[in-house]
Amino acid sequence: MSRVPALIVMHADLAEALLRAAATLYGPVEGVEVMSNQGLSRAQLEAEIASRVAGWNGGGLVLTDLWGGSCHTCGASAARGREVIVISGLNLPILLDYLHNRDTSDSTELAERLLRKGQDSIRLQRAPS
Amino acid sequence: MSWVLVRVDDRLIHGQVVIAWGGRMHPARIWVADDAIAASDWERDLLVSAAPDAEVRVTSIADAAAGWAAEAAASGGAFLLVRDLPAALALREAGATFDRLNLGGLHYAPGKSKVNEYVYLDDRDRACARALAARGVTLEVQDVPAARPQPLTALDPACVP
Repeated sequence: MSRVPALIVMHADLAEALLRAAATLYGPVEGVEVMSNQGLSRAQLEAEIASRVAGWNGGGLVLTDLWGGSCHTCGASAARGREVIVISGLNLPILLDYLHNRDTSDSTELAERLLRKGQDSIRLQRAPS
Repeated sequence: MSWVLVRVDDRLIHGQVVIAWGGRMHPARIWVADDAIAASDWERDLLVSAAPDAEVRVTSIADAAAGWAAEAAASGGAFLLVRDLPAALALREAGATFDRLNLGGLHYAPGKSKVNEYVYLDDRDRACARALAARGVTLEVQDVPAARPQPLTALDPACVP
């Protein structure tokens, strides 16, 4: 099975910072692209994402921070007509799970797995009374 | 009550609109007046999905102008978004009688020069800004509600009519 590629698109410096944080837990990370929406119009952002995913022949994932944000909607526009799945709400547990499983799942299985992982990762820790 | 924000933003519905403005003003409806997106079912549905807490209406500029008065008399509060200053002027000329226009995000592209961090204009944009100002429209540069609104004419003398 070939590796599922990923592009992280987030506001400000989040994508780069999140990948750096992941590397402290996972080790050096190869093959994940990052970009920011900073300074880009809707059309420019969509074009930039489209150019980054254009070479993905076997599908791939665009990971974004916020449903309804420009990173996400432009990701969805760029993914149209391609085997690209866009996932919002990227956090550190999702990114680490992606890194651990990107070589052993296809993009659809991986996307569904990451969705569950992200949802399970948000929990309340209450102090014992 | 109904129109509470008329905004020029080349990202249309996105995080600042939904989170910052929407979270403060809770509009019942968000209109997107954009001929290209109104002509694409797929792009229209994408923008509708981007603002789940409001009713999103994606229309042509002509249809937004035609619906302007009825929305102005409706309750609940409404936003209207256009992608650039030529579209804002076309909307005003078609009968939308706004007298304040928010400039939120007009990002850099070749041929455009900087007004501030998030507003870049070319000659055509400035001509439209002057035409709007000459019709009594106040153009305010403000990306999010927590920022201080600044008159475009104060930031860019070339926009003074």
